[in-house]
Formats: sequence, C-alpha cells, structure tokens
Amino acid sequence: MENSKSIAGEEQIIQDLLPRKFKNSGKILVYILSAFCLVGIYAYYRQLRYGLIVTHMRDYVSWGIYISNFVFFVAISLVGSLITAVFRLAGVKWGSPLTRIAEMIAVAAIIFASIIIIVDMGSPERFYNLFLYGRIQSPIIWDVIVITTYFFISILLLYYPLLPDLQILLRFKEKSGPRLHKFYSYLGSFWKGSHKQYLLSKKAINALCIAIIPVAFTIHTVTSWLFATTYRPGWDSTNFGAYFIAGAFLVGAGAVVVAMYIFRKWYGLEKYITLDHFDKMGRVLVLLCLLYLYFNVNEFLTPFFKMKESEAGYLNDMFSGSFAPVFWFAIFTGIILPIIILLFKKGRKPLPMFIVGIMVVVGAWFKRYLIVTPTLLHPFMPMHDVPASYHHYFPSWEEWAITMGSLAGAILIIVALCRVFPIIPIQETINEHHETAK
Amino acid sequence: MKLLNKILFGSLSLLFLLPGYNAFAQTADKGSVSVAVSYFNANNKIPYVVVKVKTKVNGKFQNVGGIPLKLSLNKDSEGTLIGKVVTNEQGEATAIIPQSLKKEWSSTVKHTFIAAFAGNAKYDSTSTSLTVSKAKILIDTTSSRSVVATVMELKDTTWTPVKGVDVVLAIRRLGSDLNINETATFATDSTGKASGDFKRDSIPGDLKGNITLVAKVLDNDTYGNLFIEKKVHWGSKFVSKANDFNARTLFATRAKAPVWLMVIATGIIIGVWTVLILLVQNILKIKKLGNEA
Amino acid sequence: MELKDSSRRDFLIAGLAVAAIATGCTPGSPFEAAVGDDVKPSGKKVKLLSVDGEEIEVDEAFLKPVPHMPTITNAEARVGIPGKKFVMVIDLSRCKNLKKCQSACNHAHDLNPGENWIKVDPMQSAEHTAPYWEPTTCMHCDEPPCVKVCPVDATFKRQDGIVLIDSDRCIGCRFCMAACPYSTRVFNWGAPEIPADVASQPYSAETSIPQKKGTVGKCDFCADMTRMGMLPHCVSACPNGTFFYGDLNEDSVTNGAETFRFSDLMRDKGGYRLMEDLGTKPSVYYLPPVSRNFPFESGLENDKLQNK
Ligand code: SF4
Ligand code: SF4
Repeated sequence: MENSKSIAGEEQIIQDLLPRKFKNSGKILVYILSAFCLVGIYAYYRQLRYGLIVTHMRDYVSWGIYISNFVFFVAISLVGSLITAVFRLAGVKWGSPLTRIAEMIAVAAIIFASIIIIVDMGSPERFYNLFLYGRIQSPIIWDVIVITTYFFISILLLYYPLLPDLQILLRFKEKSGPRLHKFYSYLGSFWKGSHKQYLLSKKAINALCIAIIPVAFTIHTVTSWLFATTYRPGWDSTNFGAYFIAGAFLVGAGAVVVAMYIFRKWYGLEKYITLDHFDKMGRVLVLLCLLYLYFNVNEFLTPFFKMKESEAGYLNDMFSGSFAPVFWFAIFTGIILPIIILLFKKGRKPLPMFIVGIMVVVGAWFKRYLIVTPTLLHPFMPMHDVPASYHHYFPSWEEWAITMGSLAGAILIIVALCRVFPIIPIQETINEHHETAK
Repeated sequence: MKLLNKILFGSLSLLFLLPGYNAFAQTADKGSVSVAVSYFNANNKIPYVVVKVKTKVNGKFQNVGGIPLKLSLNKDSEGTLIGKVVTNEQGEATAIIPQSLKKEWSSTVKHTFIAAFAGNAKYDSTSTSLTVSKAKILIDTTSSRSVVATVMELKDTTWTPVKGVDVVLAIRRLGSDLNINETATFATDSTGKASGDFKRDSIPGDLKGNITLVAKVLDNDTYGNLFIEKKVHWGSKFVSKANDFNARTLFATRAKAPVWLMVIATGIIIGVWTVLILLVQNILKIKKLGNEA
Repeated sequence: MELKDSSRRDFLIAGLAVAAIATGCTPGSPFEAAVGDDVKPSGKKVKLLSVDGEEIEVDEAFLKPVPHMPTITNAEARVGIPGKKFVMVIDLSRCKNLKKCQSACNHAHDLNPGENWIKVDPMQSAEHTAPYWEPTTCMHCDEPPCVKVCPVDATFKRQDGIVLIDSDRCIGCRFCMAACPYSTRVFNWGAPEIPADVASQPYSAETSIPQKKGTVGKCDFCADMTRMGMLPHCVSACPNGTFFYGDLNEDSVTNGAETFRFSDLMRDKGGYRLMEDLGTKPSVYYLPPVSRNFPFESGLENDKLQNK
C-alpha cells in the first residue's frame, strides 16, 4: 500500500515532467530552426529547378555532403536501439529516464535520413520507380527496406512506453489545452492501466527491444555496404559494417548526452537526470570511443602498412595531404580527446560531458564527410578529360543550406516531440520511485 | 571568279592538285563542293551509283548533307535521268538504275554517270561524271579450299576475261570482311581468274558451320565496285556459349535475382514484418481491452 | 539463343546490299550480314534493272535506307541482338591523343558540352616506364558492377554484351558511378545544352539520345549503329585506326580499313583487359603500346587544349 508521502512525490514527479509551453527562449529556438529549414527548402527548390548542377558534386565526387549527412543521420538513429533496447535487455536500470530522449532522436534522425536520400537523387520525381522496378540485388533497395522497417519499429518503440504517460497527460486538460488534449485522447484514451493491458504492453515492448537490435545493426551495416560493395580504395573493406556500427553507437550516445544536458538545464530536471546518469553515460561513451578507435586503427593501419598503389593516393591525402586537417580533427576531437577527458571523474560532470558530446557529434559528422569524399577523389583511372572544377570538391551554398536545414529540421522534430510528450517517461519514473521508496 | 571556281572545282582530282586553294576559296562569295561518283554492282544483279559530296573547311574535307543532285546516264537529258537525290548527313546519296533506262543501258558497254548540282545559296553549282565498263565477277571454290574469282568485261556482246584486276577474297563478318588469308588482294591472270587459299580454319560460322565468302573488286578505275558472295560450309559450327543473360545473377534484371537472395530477403522481410504487424494488432487488442473496461 | 538461318539471304542479297550501302558505311564493305536479320519484307515489289539489262523484282523494304528501320522498343533494346557478343580492341600503339573519337562520340550522342564518354588518359605505370595514351570507353563488363547496384534496372546488361542505360527510368542515385571502377559514367548535373529538337525526341536506350537532366550517361557501344551493321562512331572517326570493333562470336574485329581475326590479334600482340583482378570481365581489350606509331609527346599539345 502506498503511503501519503509517496503520493505527494508522485504528484511532484508528474508536475515536474509534464510537457510545458515554450518560454521565450524556446520560441526563439523554434524560429531560428525554422529559418534554417526555410533556407534549406529554398535551396532545394533551386536544386529541383536547375538540377544537381547547383551543388558542387561532379562526375568524380558524385556523392557529397548529402550522402555524408545521410550516413550521419542513420548513425544517430542507431542510438534509439542502444539506449532503449540494449540497456533494457541488459537490465541497466539507470538508463530508463533516457529512453524517451533516445527514441525521439532516433525517430527524427531516421525521418531526415530518408528525406536526405531523396534530396540526393538526381530525378526525385521518379522516386516511385524504387517501388515499381526495385531490384532486390541492389543495396539501395536493401537500404530502403531496412530504413522503412526501422522507422516503423522506432515509432512503435516510442509509442508503446508512451501509453501510460498519455493516461497521465489526459488528466491535465487545462494544462495541455483542448487541441493537444484531443490529440492525446486520440492516441491513448483507451489505456486504462489495467493489469491485462500492462502485460500485453510489456510483452510488446520486450518483443520490440529484441526486434530492433538486429534491424538497427542491419540498417547501419547495409548503409556501410553502399560503400563496401564497390571497388573504390577506402571503401573496399570487409571491416566496414562493424566500423560503421561502432561509429554509430558513439555518435548516438554523444547526441543523447547533448540532449540530456540541454533538457536538464531547460526543464530543470536535475532530480531526474542526475550526476550519476552523466557519470554512467560518460563511462559508456568512453567505452564506445575506445571501440570506435579500435575499428579506426583496423581500418587505417593495415592499408597504411601495405600502401597499395591504388590506395596510396587516398591514404596520403588523408594522413598528410589536403584532407589531413579534417582527418586529424575528426580523430582527435571525435575520439581521442573525448577518451582523455572522460577518463577523469571530473570530465564526467554535466558541463564537460556536454562539451564532449558536442565534440563527438561534430567529429562524427566530419568523419562521415571523410568516408565519402576523399575516396571519390582517388579513382582507379586518372582524372582526365574533364573540366578543372571536377578535380576537387567543396560544397556549394545550396548543399550547406540543405544540410543545415535538415539538421535543423531534425532538431525541430525533437523539439516538437518534447513539447507534446514528456521527455522522461513519467510512469516509469513513478514506478521506480515506488521501488526505491520501499 | 565564279567561272574560275566552276572550272577549278569541276572535278575532285583538280581539287587535290590545288591544296593551297582553300585560302582563296574563303574569300569567294560561295563555298564549293566536290562530288564523287562511284558505281556498284552486287552479285551481278542491280547496278547502282553512290555519290558523295564534300567540301573543304580550313584545309579539311567535310561531308555535306542536303545537297540535291541530278543523276543521269550517258548524257544529261530528261530521257536519261536516273534520279534526283539529296545527300544525307554523311554527304552520301544512292540511286538505282531504273527500269525505264533499259534501252539506254543495253545500248553500250560503257556507261557514263553524270551527277549535276545546280548550286544553292551556300555552294556553287558543279557537276562530275564517271565512266565505267560493264563487268561481272564470279566466285567459285575448289575442294582443296581455295577461292577462285573471275572478272569478265562485256566486249561488244561477249563477256571476256580481264587480266590484272585486283580482287579481294574475304569472309563476311560484322562490320567488315576478313581476308581469307594474309594477302590483301589477288590479281587476275589472263583467264580472268584470281585464286587464294582459305587459311581461316575453324572460323566460327552459323549454327551449321556455314560462312559467306565474298569476292570484291574495289574502286577499280574501269569497272567500279563489284562484288559477289558464296556460302560455303567451311566454318566451325556456332556453339552458343554459356551466356549469363538468362541466368540468375546479381547483375541480372529484377525478375532474375538469384534464388538465395530472394529467399533470404523475403524471409527476413516476412519475418520482421509479421512481428511488426502482430505488434500493431497488439495495440488494437489493448484498445479493445480499454474500451471494454 | 540461336543464330537465324540465313538461307533467305541468297535471293535477297542484291537488295540488301543496296540498303546497307545507302546508309553511308564505307563503300566496298557493305554490312548486309547484319542488316539481313532485321529487315522484314514489305511485300511490295519494285522493278529494277540488272547489269545484263534484265528486269528484276526486289522487295521495297530492302531498298530503303536503314535509318527507316522500325524503331526499337524499350523492351527490345533491353534484350539485345541474339547470337552476338560485341567486343572492342584498342591498339595503344596507334593512339596519339587526337581525340577524334571523342569529338565524334560527343557529336553523335549530342552530349552536353564538356561531357566526354570517351576519355584519352595519359598513363604511366611507374616512374621509369614510358607514358602512353589510353583511350577509355565503357568496358561493357560481362559482370558489370554498375548493373549489380542499380536499384531500378535503369542500367542493364544485354545478351549481346552491351550495357545500356534507360534514362527514362534512372532515378539519378549515382550508385552506378560509385560502383564503376573505370570511372566511365558521367552525370547530367543540369539540363544538358542540346538543340531543342533533339531534346524533345523520345529517349532511346540504343542511341542514348537525348541525355536528360538528373540521369546518368555513358558509352553505349553505339548499339544503334551495331544493329544496322555499322561501326561505332569512335571506330570510324579515328584516323589512326586505333579502335577495332566486332563480334566475338565471329572471331573478327575491324577498324573499317583493316580486319583481323580477334584471336590472332590477342595471341600475336598480347591483348589484355584493364583491371582484370577486379573480376568485372570487360568487353574492351587493349593491345600494349609496343612499336608505337607516334611518340607520346605528339599528343601533349592536343591535351593542353582540354586539360588546362
Ligand atoms: S565499365 Fe563501368 S559502366 Fe561500363 S559496364 Fe563496366 S562497370 Fe559498368
Ligand atoms: S544513377 Fe540511374 S542508372 Fe545509375 S544506379 Fe542510379 S538509377 Fe541506376
């Protein structure tokens, strides 16, 4: 039986965690993000009108930052499965306040991954051909299938744990306003919290957690195969699937850390996202950094040791040539420095963690850039009989605008989701509260 | 000046004699074209003429399309008109001797083909002619696998062998003919015969091993172009090699995806999506429970 | 797959020869062999004169110039010509980077200016080996990696070995460009600058005309020319006879002026293919640059024009 104290605690928790209207700073953020999106949309309009000529991609660098960005989004989306599924299955209790954030990031990222892949197409108006004429032999079709599946699972994984929270949200009609209330009741008015319902939902969540792991691995492996199924130096690697997954776990975890910090500050959730959470996430992050470092060594050391003729140009360009600044920046900022910082207990405090998270995410973005571009600039055949502009690549403003727009769009989705839904699962927190109270 | 052009460009040969003329031509009001006429006869059946029109731009020859030409036989008159043709993009046009010229054709053993261009806004008028003697080519093979070609000319009313004509003996192939051995041409002897040994053993033929031999006289000053064909059984049988086109491969069309790939892919898709559909059903179940309560 | 019986050819041959010549291939080497299989008799006869002055009747269809051949449907273009296996041989000892092949190709396919399907690369394998010019086209690989990865069957392999592109279907994902190790594919990044009447034609995979915005393009082995029994444009354009083209099933290749037995060329001159180790099985063979006709330097001048 619950005592009165715990009921008071319960109300407190609910009050703390209910989604709130944006304050001014929130509104400004939304405006800024929307502005980025609008510029991106305008740039895309130009691209539709004039063709991919508005980008600086050309015959050699035929994939540019769009594809890097796509890989980046796919990578980030992996976090949903990491925090939710892996932690849940591994019985990691402290992770539960982070599950909602992770799922929101995953959904936003996967949506924009699919948008970006359409943006990259030269003839997007023929998108339907993928369904009319899809060839199962093509890794792109595998990707289309897996992304759709993953999107669907992510939505389910966001939705199921939301059901008990929706019931709570429905209790606060005045607070949410009539429209949101209607929306909530549409989504979850049928949830009565009965034991039977609870059992069904629990079973479903377990099934989802199991299902999402192989699918998450597949989505990232298949994305890496877009590169690894070609002959190009730098892509022709059997290590690629694992290398991508390790990188994806890392950037996903980094993104969660950043989100944790921001939401904690904004909503004053210090009670729910505690120093302990940061410390634990810090340890996870170090582990993932080390794992990724290991795969990087695998990916670069052995080719470097051999210096095959076909790969030498590409490797030299990365290590000491024109891509060296970006390469070493990505390695140091994205992997090495985070390891060093996070090894110290002080480094696992919220603010340093936040900075490390940003470093990891930014480093990861540039890492994706390096996966795509340098390889394309070092084909087997000499780059010859083409205009001079084909010999190098720097994205055009349209490419930047669309990329920034898509990043802003993904953040906007996250922001919108956290306006509507509680960022920390209320019911779960209450349950845990009861357990600790006992 | 125009008159001068006409005279100078009346024939292709003159043009070759004046390689330095192009600078001069550019200053003229109109360009000049050169017309070349060649005579062809396939398998001693239908004779026809091909005209080719070129012009010189910056010292280089270029084909001129869209040039209307009047072709006539022996003399330039209405009654002897072979036909009016217009050159295509390659600067060429073909005309077949019509049946109406039967009388004119049979009247002599030598024929003159006249190609006349009346001139247009861009080019000056010109005309050229080609005279050929009626000739025939025959092809035969021996049991020891050599090819014999005979060239004969019509003298008065009898076909008489001619000596010293260069004949190409070859096998028909895609895009060109492959000589039957390393020799490029064979000259006819006093009996009008030229023979060569077939040295292309086991060259692929059709399904039955048939190949087509051809004997050709090319660009002969007196006889024009003549050729004749014969099918022989000297090739090796065409064996259709294992072709991947209909096989199930990774590079085949969607309908021909490898079975293992389809099985794995559909298996996984069905497996995962069944789970997902069950999970959606589960939501409906929960809903029903909630609505009952 | 079988070769068509060619017995019909005997009595039609005269007409066929006319049809072939009329299309403008080198007089004296008419390609009626290839034409014969595709022209269907119309039933309408015309009377013509024989060399003996006799009248003979010939079906009208065989007198028509070949360009009036029935247009090839997309489905036919995807299957290719049965019984053929087209190959190209490029003799590196004859190339001096004149790039006539390139300009002929660009013109024939109405390519966007600046876009080249044929590239002539200066090659030098190692510091102390001699440089040479290497023209490259699409290799029409027998196990084409580009076709493997295409998600929508827009690029496909035909039974005669030619790899073509259906620009009406291509979604412009450029995966094939990444997959092709020979970097032969080009992309129409913007709307190609081509005459309006060309651009408004319906697309044909065999001519690759017109090129379209947002789709990929590459050498098509002039599948349309081959169907008519004519040589690809690059082959006839090269004044040095660098390119040879033919049917492997006939064991013969030609550059228009010279014709060789393919197997003899390979044996006597040491033919090879590019990047054999990748297992792509190209249909383009190279003859090494031995006893060259031109010094490497003779091509440098021409190269500067394009590769500033
Ligand atoms: S050369 Fe390239 S484009 Fe051509 S068939 Fe081979 S892989 Fe495809
Ligand atoms: S760019 Fe076109 S041809 Fe190439 S893989 Fe994509 S859809 Fe296929």
